[in-house]
Amino acid sequence: MASNPQKTNDSWMGSRLARKEDLRLVTGQGKYISDIVLPRMLHAVFVRSDRAHAKIVSIDTSAALALPGVVCVVTGDDIVDELRSMPQPVLLPNLPAKYPTFYPLCVGKVKFHGAPVALVIARDKYVAEDAAELVEIEYEELPVVVDPEAALEPGAPLINEDHDDNEIFSMTFTGGTTQAEQDANDKEVEEIFQNADVTIKERFRVHRTGLTPMEPRGVLCDWSDSDGLTAWITTQRPHIDRLAIIDLLDIPADKVRVIAPRDQGGGFGVKAPFFRENVIIAHMARKLGQPVRWIESRYESLMNVGQERDQINYLEVAATQDGKLLALRNRGIADNGTGETGVYWGFVMPFLGAVELPNTYTWDKADVKLRVAVTNKACLTPSRAFGHFPTRFAIERAVDMIAHKIGMEPSDLRRKNLIPHLPYTSTTGEYYDSGDFVQVWDNLMSHIDMAKFREEQQAARSEGRYIGIGFGTGVELSGMASEVLVPMENQPGYGAASVRLDPRGTALVFGGDAPGGQGHETSVAQIVASAFGIEPQDTVTTTGDTATTPFGSGTIGARGASYFMSAVHNACVEIKVKIARILAHDLGISATLDDFEFVDGQVVLRSDRSVKKSFRDIVERIIMHPINMPPGEVGGLEATVYFEAAKPMICFNADFCTVEVDIHSGEFKITKWVSSEDVGNVINPLIVDGQMHGAIVQGLSNTMFEEFIYNDQGQQLTADFENYKIANAADMPDIEVTYSPSPCPHTPLGTRGIGEGRPSSVPGALSNAICDALLPFGIEITELPLRPGAIWKKIQESQA
Amino acid sequence: MELAEEIRINATRDIVFAALNNVEILKQAIPGCEALEATSATEFTATVVSKIGPLKARFTGNVTLVDVIAPQSYTMVGEGKGGPAGFAKMRTFVHLTDEGESTLLRYEVKADIGGKLAQLGGALISSTSKKLAGIFFGNFEALLNGERAIERSSE
Repeated sequence: MASNPQKTNDSWMGSRLARKEDLRLVTGQGKYISDIVLPRMLHAVFVRSDRAHAKIVSIDTSAALALPGVVCVVTGDDIVDELRSMPQPVLLPNLPAKYPTFYPLCVGKVKFHGAPVALVIARDKYVAEDAAELVEIEYEELPVVVDPEAALEPGAPLINEDHDDNEIFSMTFTGGTTQAEQDANDKEVEEIFQNADVTIKERFRVHRTGLTPMEPRGVLCDWSDSDGLTAWITTQRPHIDRLAIIDLLDIPADKVRVIAPRDQGGGFGVKAPFFRENVIIAHMARKLGQPVRWIESRYESLMNVGQERDQINYLEVAATQDGKLLALRNRGIADNGTGETGVYWGFVMPFLGAVELPNTYTWDKADVKLRVAVTNKACLTPSRAFGHFPTRFAIERAVDMIAHKIGMEPSDLRRKNLIPHLPYTSTTGEYYDSGDFVQVWDNLMSHIDMAKFREEQQAARSEGRYIGIGFGTGVELSGMASEVLVPMENQPGYGAASVRLDPRGTALVFGGDAPGGQGHETSVAQIVASAFGIEPQDTVTTTGDTATTPFGSGTIGARGASYFMSAVHNACVEIKVKIARILAHDLGISATLDDFEFVDGQVVLRSDRSVKKSFRDIVERIIMHPINMPPGEVGGLEATVYFEAAKPMICFNADFCTVEVDIHSGEFKITKWVSSEDVGNVINPLIVDGQMHGAIVQGLSNTMFEEFIYNDQGQQLTADFENYKIANAADMPDIEVTYSPSPCPHTPLGTRGIGEGRPSSVPGALSNAICDALLPFGIEITELPLRPGAIWKKIQESQA
Repeated sequence: MELAEEIRINATRDIVFAALNNVEILKQAIPGCEALEATSATEFTATVVSKIGPLKARFTGNVTLVDVIAPQSYTMVGEGKGGPAGFAKMRTFVHLTDEGESTLLRYEVKADIGGKLAQLGGALISSTSKKLAGIFFGNFEALLNGERAIERSSE
């Protein structure tokens, strides 16, 4: 482990502090959901559909029930009268859509391969697994729809029968709110295309891929008549899960507590929705009066969650001959899967993907429309780069195609069209609050000599070697303001934190979000240590327990350093104001917070540094000896603060990579990857580096390897890591992350939330590099994943 | 999954066709066949144990013979459920032509495999099917020649 740097300038901000949580995590002392064992605990296993679309004719549970140790087997018909169906208002976005009605177990029919049909509960996990195999289900097959364009055709087989077609959501993102305004806008866009020097029109297809957290999902529920329900759930949003369970099971609000275990093996968006499995496990624990636990297998996980992207974009771009981008027109078609998960319903991701299509470039006009189709596949689940992986691939490829058409360097074209000044409102209405895109871009370009690279490229070509360079840029949400999150997910965006000082001078921090490995315990400790002048080890952070933490919408959308950490800081400031007031009173001077400095375990009077008191002593005095207080003041040191930024916030990045392509096999090697990031003021560079490396690797893995495959019968063929290939260390290039930060003006510490959307510039940059290498063949990549076989085929076709 | 092959069998077309409709011969020839019963002249119920890749499954299902043109061809339509391992639907066209005293048997199989079989055994389905077909016809010819079936299991 690298030596632990000390604080700089009397602050732990920006210190490359080794993570507090890592020692326990890497020595097997983490406590995950499957480490929690309760007395009399029962084990649940789902029986899942092996058909993609079929009526349930009958379910025979007799053989399963006969197995010794089996407590019960429940089916959809058993529970319809015992709990409420989804959707419930707390789980509905404020977006008009054809929301499906559904129960935790399928009722009447199954809609995808892997859908939960029955639940077996037994005294032993192995018995439950064996019994699940004995449940006999008779199906009557229905026509299967796995193609989103076919699903939208009139007369296509209906998947969610409470609606009259398979279009769960559609929207026009540009031009205004009325049809007349939108029509007028579309006409103006058409005129730009008619008169433009150069246009491109292409169908961009991104496959179904996403995230596979190291720890799959799990739920453990315990019921007692006096205290009600305690639910441990692997989740990014325990407070929302709690409200959903209250509403779905009709349990009084004071009788439900949800706990996200402190240690969770990754979330990445996959654990952000509200899942049907939570409801049925909670229901059965209440019904049986015994704890019930379900731990998802990898097989179930790959069948049910972590599937995103899966989108077609018919994108057109118009530009001038000298490389000014004028207008874009896009018709997106997203494959939603069934739509059966709470909060997102599948379509909220493509919704944001359409919003973020214009990316970092200026456009005079845009015409952006999206249609989202229900299909017989697992419902899309958020996977970081929430929604905009497919649209960003399309736009970054389209920019290069324009550059190729007019013979301009793609890097020059990008710089020419970057949004020059912030704040800025995009053509789809997204607000970009602050930062300097051009500065970040110029920092990136300082790491490559383009003229020299082009010389090397020419020289290589003369030897039959094909090297190329590709660029990509990305703007992403840095936390989500309430004005964004309320319409999108019907939830508040503010960050909330409670800071409580202990009489011995240490700090306890409570947050309602639920991290899954982001390093919150360390970042929080650095903020608290900097605020109070204490050591990072003097702070203990508790997250994820709805009984002890203030309301938070969850660890989602880069809310950490944007919203939660800002709330922590502001709570510390509130406590410091009180300490200063009481200390000034004790000293018999007139002074406020600004007159004191909290440093090295002391509270020091700035005007006379010999006047000071140890932090521990003043804290103990205020909590334990609240006599001789200033008028109106009482003891105790605790603050709960809700932080809402004045504006929605963003962060920004740009990438380049170089590749070498073997034209005889289509194989390629990434020879260099450099990124330039505006991450605002950094709390811990080690953590930010890790976020960037992880996000870029994830983008590459999605682009090159990972693919969920359904055959024409809707059979999901990639339910293990042999068939769903994830990048390993040897597959990945060295990644050089560089920074060009600008402090965020809307957070108290100038920090920005980072990492959520970061993977999305990766597929464009890599595809662009390969196309640049193969420019002599005139190859334009329009589909992912990037398989050597497909590249080889394109080379062959170009030579035919 | 699709599979097509031609096999030369050392027996006349009439004998081969009759054997292809003979429950006792089929039962002995089908690898892993635990039960095969005729419910009518063209309908059967079957229980077959198969091992495909890491999965061993007991399939129970129905087989129906359609488009029967004796002694030339028929199509065998079958559907089997393998419990937790998944399911298979199969359509096999069998055609016989004279070749002197022997018979040339051509078959074309089209199968849809579902569930864990398709996922875990996907890469092995085609090779396993070819192997099973080979065992079946080896047994079939041996039985026609009055010998005992050689291989009974699919492992």
